[in-house]
Amino acid sequence: MTKWALFFILLWLATFVTGQLLFKRAMELSRKLGFRNRQTISILGVGILVMTTSFCLNLGLLQRFDLSYLYPFQGSSIIIITLLAALILKESLTARLIAGTLLITAGVVLVSMS
Amino acid sequence: MSANRQFYAGAARTSDRPTGFTNPWFQFVLNIVGVVIYELLLKAGASASADPSNSWSWFGINALASPLTWLAIAVVVVDLIIWLYILRYIPLSIAFPLSRAVDVLVPISCWLILKEAISPLRWCGIALVIIGLVIVAKPAAELEQRL
Repeated sequence: MTKWALFFILLWLATFVTGQLLFKRAMELSRKLGFRNRQTISILGVGILVMTTSFCLNLGLLQRFDLSYLYPFQGSSIIIITLLAALILKESLTARLIAGTLLITAGVVLVSMS
Repeated sequence: MSANRQFYAGAARTSDRPTGFTNPWFQFVLNIVGVVIYELLLKAGASASADPSNSWSWFGINALASPLTWLAIAVVVVDLIIWLYILRYIPLSIAFPLSRAVDVLVPISCWLILKEAISPLRWCGIALVIIGLVIVAKPAAELEQRL
């Protein structure tokens, strides 16, 4: 893997994780304040923009790598998103949930290494 | 009580949750199927229009030349709406790990449909993901019972 490939994969991951957190925050706000609330619309809008960037980067990467090789890299976002959901969105975690998440991440890393 | 409330932050109570076709768990299954479909379409569209010599192709713009890419984008938009709907009712820390069933389904679909090879090590990784999914599914079931 070249340095550029690693850079774009990491950029893809960062935009994907950020987009997911923004989506969840926007949906929480939509339940409390409604979809027409300015804050809900703003966060959802930024989330869509970030995820669109992630989507374009994904397309670029797909032109260079096998899907079954590339796609599991996104799996490393599982543990990042789960931890950030606890830290930023105040979702608490059980030991079982953390263990399951770690296993999924390990499995995905194993898939991406093979 | 406060600990329970904190754990289930981001979750809607069962009594507030739609049933039938609009049930978020049913939509969750639809979402996963949608992801598998659009990932395969994206790969097919991107491969059909690949031009690695062009440095701008890192941003995927030239993949838009393929109709398969546009079909994939249509599925992505529908899937995004479904995902946003799911996030209204299910905590991200549960929904996202469970959504990684895709990491099992996509390589297997690539193996079956795109004829891409899967090594024994990759099969081991797929098995680990499945075990992890089963473990994560338990907190999801507890969440359903307690709400």
